[in-house]
Amino acid sequence: MGDYVWFHDVSWHASYAVYFFVIGILAGLSFISYGSWRTPALRPLREKTAYASFVLLGLGGLLLIADLSQPLRFLNILNPAYLNFTSPLAWGALNIVAFGIASVIYIRTLRKGDEQNGKLLALITALLALGLPIYTGFDLAVHQSRPVWNTPIMPVLFVAMAIASGSAVGALLAAGNAEAQKVLREYMLWSAGAVAVMLVSIMGTTNYGGAAEELTFALMTSGTMGLIFVGVGFLAGSVAPAVLLFAPIGRSQGVVMVSALLILVGSAALRYVLLMAPQQVQTLF
Amino acid sequence: MSEGSKVSTGGSKKRYAMVVDTRRCIGCMACQVACKAEYDTPLGVNRTWVPYKVVGKYPNVKKQFLPRLCNHCEDPPCVRNCPVEATFVVEDGGFVLQRYERCIGCRSCMAACPYNARFMLPSHRTYTPITNVVDKCTFCFHRVTQNLVPACVQTCIGRSRVFGDLNDPNSEVSYLVAKNATQVLRPEQGTKPHVFYIGADRNTTEIGRDAYRKPEVMELERSAFKRNFKI
Repeated sequence: MGDYVWFHDVSWHASYAVYFFVIGILAGLSFISYGSWRTPALRPLREKTAYASFVLLGLGGLLLIADLSQPLRFLNILNPAYLNFTSPLAWGALNIVAFGIASVIYIRTLRKGDEQNGKLLALITALLALGLPIYTGFDLAVHQSRPVWNTPIMPVLFVAMAIASGSAVGALLAAGNAEAQKVLREYMLWSAGAVAVMLVSIMGTTNYGGAAEELTFALMTSGTMGLIFVGVGFLAGSVAPAVLLFAPIGRSQGVVMVSALLILVGSAALRYVLLMAPQQVQTLF
Repeated sequence: MSEGSKVSTGGSKKRYAMVVDTRRCIGCMACQVACKAEYDTPLGVNRTWVPYKVVGKYPNVKKQFLPRLCNHCEDPPCVRNCPVEATFVVEDGGFVLQRYERCIGCRSCMAACPYNARFMLPSHRTYTPITNVVDKCTFCFHRVTQNLVPACVQTCIGRSRVFGDLNDPNSEVSYLVAKNATQVLRPEQGTKPHVFYIGADRNTTEIGRDAYRKPEVMELERSAFKRNFKI
């Protein structure tokens, strides 16, 4: 065509999507740990989810630091003299640290068997965990020039995905425990349904947007990216588990386990596409 | 680079801007070369670049050039998004600059910039020790504070690029912006860019037509483009 196009690089690579996935699961597990104080059926998961959540925090933190091109400068983000509070990343860094501290205190309380303070600490940890998917959603939503990212629904979508993927891991951890799986089935059903509805809403507004939005929609619904997003993320990872869990067979443990696996694979795919696809068109500007 | 360097000598603050008269651009890429020489910009990345489109219908065709650089926005999303204030606006002059020693390399500013003006410096450079941090056009802050124009403006043989103080009613940029129909890139983003284009074709200021190709085809061209930049 005789055009000279400068191909720019995407800013955030797939490792960031892995971080989103890990942080979502750990937030969901924290919710379950707190839920165990309110719902007796989840009691066997209390310690397991608290420990798993803390381990994933370490993994997520390492991923985040390794993704920086200057990993040793990660402490800059905690330097009060440098912090820029208009950036969601700054809030996120503080949230991660606060969550880590709360998790350590909570786990110590669990090990001591201190029931009185345990519930309060579980609540604080869960509230701080809620901040993690919210900040990751805002992290994308504040970029006004990016289609799909720049929607107010993004933090809500990340919270729903965190509940879905955390409950899925919880359901796998609770294998053989019919009572716990019954509760987690409810969590997975409604969160997977909410994710599917929000995806339809986001894709609808994207398709009816401007040139960049329409191109991004085309990218997300065709080719390899389309297969990952629509096939794996939306249909297999959100709609199918919601339908399976809603159907009369949804109460059987086998279906709950299959749905949990589908949700995990689907939410990983969704995070990958939601991160990568909206960056593609911009690289051609 | 000293943040304390004085730009204005009088009482009022300056607001530097660049006017790019695309009717005068001949696509010699001298601006790109001058910038590369000034900053030892590595292969594969650029502070300024000159893409073009071939427009018209044979035999009446021409190349429409669109010199690009950081727009030194009035409301820069990159500054807002940097978690450690590694990028900032110099109040006097409006330069958007980078603190290399503070940048953590999270690339949040790159994601925020609607103009792709920012890039990551590679880990190995021949002469310059600044690596693995985000870099961008500085409007040649070090030259402007010495009463020189930016390197790209200095070298532009068609006088397509004009640089000056918008707050000075007698400056050439003020005259050009006042007397000509100008446009900025992506005004809908609300960034209030300070690079003004005269004669820019809507065809060139929008997302490239390559974007309308199939992703697989696009990827082939992208990998061919990037092949020579693996350093």
